[in-house]
Amino acid sequence: MRKSQRKVKDPLLISLIKALSEDRVTDGAAARRIYSKDASVIEGGRAGVICFPEDTAEVVKCVSLANEYDREFVTRGAGTGLAGGSVPCNDPIVIVTTRMKKIIDVDIEKKIAWVQPGVVNLDLSNFLKGTGLHFAPDPSSQQACTIGGNVANNSGGPHCLAYGVTNSHIAALEVVLPDSSIVQLGSIEGEARGYDLRGVFVGGEGTLGVATRIAVRLTEDPPEIATLLLDFSKITDAAETVSQIIANGVLPAALELMDRNVVAAVEPFAKAGYPLDAEAVLIAEVDGLPDGVSHEVGIITDIAINNGAREVRIAADEEERERIWKGRKSAFGAIAKIKPDYYLHDTVIPRGRLAEVIEKVYKIAETHDLVVMNVFHAGDGNLHPLLVFDARIPGTLEKVKKAGEEIVRISLEAGGVLSGEHGIGLEKQRFMSQQFSERDLEAQDALRRSFDPENRSNPHKVLPTGSSCGELNSLNEIPEGVWI
Amino acid sequence: METNMETGLNNELLLLEPETLNACVSCGLCLPHCPTYRVTGDERMSPRGRIALMRSVDTKEFNPTPEWIHSMDTCVQCRGCETACPSAVPFGELISDTKKALASVRKLPLTIRIGLLILNKPRLLTGVTFLIGVLQKLGFMRNSSYIPSGVPLLKRQFKTTYSSQDPVLFTGCVMESWTPWVHTAALKTLAFFGVNVATSGKNVGCCGALHEHSGLRSVSIKMAENVMNEMPTTGPVLVNSAGCGAMLKEYGKLMGTEKAKQFSERVFDVHEWIAKNCKLPNRIEKKERLVVQDPCHLRHAQNSHQYVREVLSPFVEIVELPDEGLCCGAGGAFSVSQKELSTEIRKLKRTAFAEVNTEGEKFRVVSANPGCVTHLQSEGFEIKHPLEVVAEYVNEISETDEMSKFE
Repeated sequence: MRKSQRKVKDPLLISLIKALSEDRVTDGAAARRIYSKDASVIEGGRAGVICFPEDTAEVVKCVSLANEYDREFVTRGAGTGLAGGSVPCNDPIVIVTTRMKKIIDVDIEKKIAWVQPGVVNLDLSNFLKGTGLHFAPDPSSQQACTIGGNVANNSGGPHCLAYGVTNSHIAALEVVLPDSSIVQLGSIEGEARGYDLRGVFVGGEGTLGVATRIAVRLTEDPPEIATLLLDFSKITDAAETVSQIIANGVLPAALELMDRNVVAAVEPFAKAGYPLDAEAVLIAEVDGLPDGVSHEVGIITDIAINNGAREVRIAADEEERERIWKGRKSAFGAIAKIKPDYYLHDTVIPRGRLAEVIEKVYKIAETHDLVVMNVFHAGDGNLHPLLVFDARIPGTLEKVKKAGEEIVRISLEAGGVLSGEHGIGLEKQRFMSQQFSERDLEAQDALRRSFDPENRSNPHKVLPTGSSCGELNSLNEIPEGVWI
Repeated sequence: METNMETGLNNELLLLEPETLNACVSCGLCLPHCPTYRVTGDERMSPRGRIALMRSVDTKEFNPTPEWIHSMDTCVQCRGCETACPSAVPFGELISDTKKALASVRKLPLTIRIGLLILNKPRLLTGVTFLIGVLQKLGFMRNSSYIPSGVPLLKRQFKTTYSSQDPVLFTGCVMESWTPWVHTAALKTLAFFGVNVATSGKNVGCCGALHEHSGLRSVSIKMAENVMNEMPTTGPVLVNSAGCGAMLKEYGKLMGTEKAKQFSERVFDVHEWIAKNCKLPNRIEKKERLVVQDPCHLRHAQNSHQYVREVLSPFVEIVELPDEGLCCGAGGAFSVSQKELSTEIRKLKRTAFAEVNTEGEKFRVVSANPGCVTHLQSEGFEIKHPLEVVAEYVNEISETDEMSKFE
């Protein structure tokens, strides 16, 4: 990293440089620009000083300086979040964990690995190759996102259907609290004593402190895997298939649905051989002992065909399997092939009502004259409707916002929840009061204040605050230079 | 108009295609495939960050600061991000145009300017080569990451007369002067397959890739014109340097003329051409396990890395590196201009080599680009061009009269 060339004046900057090193602290205009955004369409963030600590002690220094100078701080990993969770408001110190990427210790017998938060999700599983173990949560961004970010968002992923989301795979955490003290939450030796504060922290979206060491539980590689690609001419048939598979007692490792638009966007990149003329493609993966796997493949195939599947293809080898997954996991990134911007929701609805809600989602998009692309974790009813648009066309953003609100409303009405795995961040705050009562929200705020009484750690996020620092895309209503 | 005080630059600097910039949705899937982000963890040194910064100038919201320029200067231009990008953002074009804009407003570092001048002047190159050769023989020259060891004092003469349809081996600049044995190996291999090949000859010279990567567009276009004029053939042009091959294949796009487009269509990486046109021998009994290190401009720019494997596979057992074609840090002039970063990136490659070498055996490594070979050699790895290894094996076959295996 380049040494800052100009005369250093800001006392906070000087202190941070003293605490870390000159090449790992910056308030450069270019850096502040980049670190004011994550992978969502939220604009209007404002980063203050950006730091790259390398260990727990350095994080403690960053946090205690935030206290000393009465500044807020925001923790950020790879910045692949989709809800603005790491978008900084109010010129905070941005603590970037990407240089904390050590895999500290792997205990094969106990099936536990201690890692620093900046370890990339896929790097851990690659590192474990040959041990017969892997880290189960596999968000679509797993090749880039960090385990710290997975903890913050309690991330899911296709294979969380059978294996559970991140929370099930975190044994213990070393956390630097917002007052800069260090605590360990949870334990690698069975249950922790007292309340499960580890469980509170996972999914806290960085509002409760900074995880500096994470003990993850490792999962055994399944002895046999079968990946099926099912091809439907009606998306409701695919949704019905999903419900019936699970109603028949089969719990696949993953059950993912992509509609025609998504397939068209990803196929040129992934070359997975997805049928381009299908209205819906369902990826079903079953794993376990060989006999069980072939039995379940049989059940899924029967159900699919009864529901009008045109073709059932089973991946012939590991390479084909990888390509099928590569396509699914590149979906969000491939959107630019259709339109330059996207607005993504993450609601979860009861599986039995999939077909009905999906139809409504298409209706909503149609009413607002928008394109919607559906790619989602069908097995657990976690929708990811992507409204794709070109923000430069006047009036489009208003339509998108409106359609988004309606999608949230119909999901909640169907008995669903706001977010499955992307978190609330900045983007879904304004929907929180639709899901929770005033008292619910107060209780959550009290819990948060018990960790962070001074509201220093990633404030302005998750719970509705009345004002929001970021705005959807160019709906940037906050003039430059105004503090919130 | 406002300018940045330190750089004297304003937001008129870039004139990139807004639609091309818009193709990036900032998903971040490129991050782990960027060598400079891998070693720094700093998004100013990532494709997503660089695109955000280009966009900020392109949309007139930002005047380039030294920090901004540094972000662009530190790009290796390996194009690993292009392979990783689901939206197929042509990052190579974006950074190339940005470097061109920067080169138009400031001077490149002296060392780079001298280096590029030498490549462009065949006589000067011959002189410098002689000097390097002497210094190396006298032991006055340290191992360097951009000059190979054993540079010959005098230029080797290759056959240059050819009929207009025959394939021609493009010999380039430093490769011809500094590592002529690679060309010899290529000619030997091609002769073994019964292909009559001549070399491009001394007037053809440098392809201009490094000039283009430094942003000197007008120079590189002039060099491209020279290359095309001096090779007035209609047959295939074979290239055994991935960097040059990628450049020759891009003449058409760069110049936009019909002549350049037709020329580029005739360009093949030598492995690609062999794999597509020659009958490879049956597999021999394989004793050697060989690590293939893909040059970025073969894998990410040309997408032709698979042919190296096809050509090698009859002779050796191929060991794949677990790093998905991450750059080695050579990057043409990058190892000179960004020495520190280049060395850090090379350490990742060392880790990747160690990962495949679990048994502690001694592997040889091959890489189809002279820059990568030299850069890695200076770190002490035994590394060769793939065709040097193939030439060894075909030599053995010829000597033991195993030609019958071909029939």
